[in-house]
Amino acid sequence: MSVNGTSSGKRSALAPLGKPFAIVGGVLAVVAALLPWVTFGLNDGNWPDKSTLQFFDAPFEVTGFRWHMLLLGVLILVATFAPIPSRGRVIRALGWGTALVSFVNGAYITVKGGGLAAITALDGAVAFGSIAGLVAGVLTILAAYGIGFEPVGQWKVKLSTPLAYLVLLASFAAVLYAVAALLTTGGVGAANPYAGAIFLSFLGFAAGVLGALSGVGFIKWLSALSEQHRVFSVIVLAACALLLPFTDAGNEYWMTVAANIGIYAATAIGLNIVVGLAGLLDLGYVAFMGIGALVAANFSGAATAHFGIALPFPVAAIIAAIVAGIFGAIVGSPTLRVRGDYLAIVTLAFGEIFTRSAQNNIGGITNGSNAIPGIPQLSLFGAEFNKSLTIGAVKLPAGVLYYVLIVLLVAATMAVFANLKFSRIGRAWIAIREDEDAARAMGIRTGKMKILAFLIGATLAGLAGAVFAHKNGTVSYESFKFLESVTLLAAVILGGMGSIPGAVLGAALLFVLPEKLRDFADWRLMIFGLALILIMRFRPVGLIPDAHRRAEMIERADENAEEAHEEAKRA
Amino acid sequence: MTPVLEARDVSMVFGGLKALKGVTLTLDEGKIVGLIGPNGAGKTTFFNCLTGLYTPTTGQVLLKGNVLPGDPAQVTDAGVARTFQNIRLFPSMTVLENVMVGRHVRMKQGPLASLFHGPAYHRGEKAARDRSRELLSFVGLNNLDDELSRNLPYGDQRRLEIARALATDPAVLLLDEPTAGMNPQETEATQQLIFRIRETGVSVVVIEHDIKFIFGLCDSVSVLVQGELLVEGSPETVRADPRVVEAYLGKPPEEVAHEVEAAAASAEEEQA
Amino acid sequence: MSVLLQQLVNGVMQGALIALIALGYTMVYGIIQLINFAHGEVFMVASYGGLATYTWLLPEDLKKVPYVALPLMFVGGIIVAVIVAVIMERFAYRPLRNAPRLAPLITALGVSVFLQEFVRNVYPNATSNLPYPKVFPEGALSLGGVNISKTGLLLVLLSVGLAVVLQTYINRSRMGRAMRATAQDPDTAKLMGVDPDRVIVLTFIFGAVLAGVAGILYGGYLSNINIDMGFQTGIFAFTAAVLGGVGSIRGAVIGAFIIGLIKTLAGQYMPGGTQYDYVWIFVVLILVLVFRPQGLFGEPERVRA
Repeated sequence: MSVNGTSSGKRSALAPLGKPFAIVGGVLAVVAALLPWVTFGLNDGNWPDKSTLQFFDAPFEVTGFRWHMLLLGVLILVATFAPIPSRGRVIRALGWGTALVSFVNGAYITVKGGGLAAITALDGAVAFGSIAGLVAGVLTILAAYGIGFEPVGQWKVKLSTPLAYLVLLASFAAVLYAVAALLTTGGVGAANPYAGAIFLSFLGFAAGVLGALSGVGFIKWLSALSEQHRVFSVIVLAACALLLPFTDAGNEYWMTVAANIGIYAATAIGLNIVVGLAGLLDLGYVAFMGIGALVAANFSGAATAHFGIALPFPVAAIIAAIVAGIFGAIVGSPTLRVRGDYLAIVTLAFGEIFTRSAQNNIGGITNGSNAIPGIPQLSLFGAEFNKSLTIGAVKLPAGVLYYVLIVLLVAATMAVFANLKFSRIGRAWIAIREDEDAARAMGIRTGKMKILAFLIGATLAGLAGAVFAHKNGTVSYESFKFLESVTLLAAVILGGMGSIPGAVLGAALLFVLPEKLRDFADWRLMIFGLALILIMRFRPVGLIPDAHRRAEMIERADENAEEAHEEAKRA
Repeated sequence: MTPVLEARDVSMVFGGLKALKGVTLTLDEGKIVGLIGPNGAGKTTFFNCLTGLYTPTTGQVLLKGNVLPGDPAQVTDAGVARTFQNIRLFPSMTVLENVMVGRHVRMKQGPLASLFHGPAYHRGEKAARDRSRELLSFVGLNNLDDELSRNLPYGDQRRLEIARALATDPAVLLLDEPTAGMNPQETEATQQLIFRIRETGVSVVVIEHDIKFIFGLCDSVSVLVQGELLVEGSPETVRADPRVVEAYLGKPPEEVAHEVEAAAASAEEEQA
Repeated sequence: MSVLLQQLVNGVMQGALIALIALGYTMVYGIIQLINFAHGEVFMVASYGGLATYTWLLPEDLKKVPYVALPLMFVGGIIVAVIVAVIMERFAYRPLRNAPRLAPLITALGVSVFLQEFVRNVYPNATSNLPYPKVFPEGALSLGGVNISKTGLLLVLLSVGLAVVLQTYINRSRMGRAMRATAQDPDTAKLMGVDPDRVIVLTFIFGAVLAGVAGILYGGYLSNINIDMGFQTGIFAFTAAVLGGVGSIRGAVIGAFIIGLIKTLAGQYMPGGTQYDYVWIFVVLILVLVFRPQGLFGEPERVRA
């Protein structure tokens, strides 16, 4: 990578400063956590976590983002002195975390407070928190370049099965806690004027810690462990997800958001089969979800449906999946003759044909721009899925049944994906992705396999679409346009192609962020376009890469980093 | 006895260019046949005809008396496996997975088994894994199962490619320049490996530039020049043929004859 | 009969517009095998650039003088298009030149979304259709019941003229030879002293200039513009480039005229009318990619061994 080439000079100059910078950075981050951050009470109310001058009432009551800063500072110091693998990577991640938390808070305070006066010394009041934090972050990042980047740590620890289960259980519980915290932090919607800032700040902290864990090799080890105990992992993960309604996030609002994320996550996993495993870029994928939704809507007994029959949901869902699957096979059939970019364009064309036809109410089954409203809610033993539910003494929030249904859907999709990936078919897909000619020379009927990938991906999307129809009550072609396909693709890429947790995380980020960042509603898509460009440029493997792909891409980066490291030493 | 692989009068025309002009080649069971010729002689084109990548314009390729289908995947299924001149492994799959891909055509696992992972799935996967490990150890790649294939040294990649091809349980193995870029020790090891492959009952066709290697290895050698079969016969016959010396090597005959003699002599020495 | 003739005329004019954009697709693909999905947005941005030039840069008295205002709008639109294209090439595509093949395509999608949303957020009132200034030749010539709009005529003349100039430049000039060499074999071209970066930037610039011209003419021909115009017209242009054989200048132009004619004729005569004209173009796109991916004038690809 060219980045390494150009920055190696800078790194060698920084080399002797690595450790001192890290120490200063860590200490400064701790100090920043203990400093006040705002000079006066803002119009929308005091900045959270007693960071205004009220801070002097209880200087050591450190909560919220200041607690995060403190933690990051301590971690930087620990990482500087403790004997850990790949110190540079860990410190770089922590530095970025510190810088992000400081920047987000500082920027918000400045904007909301109407100028730099809000974060600097004025009227004798001292509020250097964000500046100290930012300096700490930058110093720490520079320190990391001085220390240099060794390859990500390799953990050779092998655990006995019960111990492995315990580790996985604890890790997934931590994930559950983090997800609940991520959802609830900053509160719901407009209730807290600083919700966006609190959320972004938390995200910065989480990114820093995750980056550090990944740098030290823990994430790689954990994902290998969970891959070894696949079935157990899926069960625990599903159980954790089912526990979410019992956490702070257990209210109607978050149940709805989480259910929507789940639907898109399931669809994204389906897309991941096509794109991540088989390596076929599908730019019209959301059309299959649309087909599933339309089929389910038409058989739901809604007043405006084309067929005046109400099939039971499971039957309608299966029909939806099958119809979508058939269309998937049709759209996939050009793969017999078309490869690469051209195939992507063919799928785009099919997607557009779907949108246009649906918009024009083709065959009277889509209702065009009037949509199909009034799709009945699902119910089970008389309990409607959108109502709240009381089991014994526990009152569960409204929408919890949809949430449960969707968790099961996601779990099922994950299981399909994981099982296929580690099978004769999955190996054939990956082989095709890697080298199609060599795959054929191994006796793989590539055409058949590629159509199968399209078919299975589309079937899963159709199933998700059927749930979508009932959950939302309305089906309109507007929900299945090109931009949605791109969003799903972005979810897959952001999370990591070929990786399941990646697809879920990608879908979660892309669909939670807009909820949290209403301040930026208009800029959402623009940021999103920019994010696509930046990911492809700087981290094409995504956030949680598939083991294989990660190895492929990171090792290349590692080789470069090592070379640069050697150079730095020689200099 | 029917030969295991037989190319009958194979011609291949691209546009106006006649790349192959009625080439005939016979491979008897348990034999190693070498294919040599100067660059552009049509060796690779001929290879592609044998593997189903090209359908010959005229002529046929038969495996055990049956005409081979015109599709690489089906050719492999029928029992002809190949390696590539410029190694083409699946770079981000592990060593073991690469070989298991080779088991693809011999596994009975259907879509439902792939989806639900029942007992049959586990039996099938285990069998495939065991067979793959066996082949890896056969070619001399032990304890590298979880290594990514792209991280292997060059020579190991070549051997892995052979293991992957053998995993398809072929009757005939086609090797496209298996020693390109190898040092003498590695070349020697490859020769021994090919002998061992022959011992398992697999017949082998080798394309190679290294004459010494071919003469020391093959039971029979065919020389291809400008799309035509010039000479075919035992290494001794081919070596003695003045046309080969002239056409293939394009040097004054006596000089080359000397070289060829030397090569043959050292090959014999090694065999002894 | 006159309906048919009228639709043929309309089709040729739309084809001329599509051709200007298709040339950008075909040249970039020819050189670096990238489907520059964002090229349609360059055309859109140019259209807004021209409008901005007119609205804010031109003094009031000059706005009333079409033969001064119009050229200045062309200049403004082209400058904006070129700047966008150069930035895009330098910062989005160039770093990915050796990346896996899907990466640049995904980046192109990102650039496309970014540009569209950028204009929507930054340009005043860009969320609705904006009227284009009346600086174009007005009225139409009437020939046996068929109306030929003067702006449309200008469009056809400029489009064909520029295509001929481009073709000549690529065939005759030193830089054109460097471009052809890079398209054939970048490594060898580099050894022969051709700087591939320069060639590629230049290709993007040529594409942007043509898209800039198209952006202004689109405004004049349809009298208003919106931020969706880039995506739609871009797809038409891409289809045209594929139909003509990607990499071929002549092919792109002929392909564009065919697409223009399909659009107007299908809108007139096919079931569903203009609501489905778009669909027919996609059907053509799929059929061409499946059955003749090398296009009408391209060379068939040889099978790799």
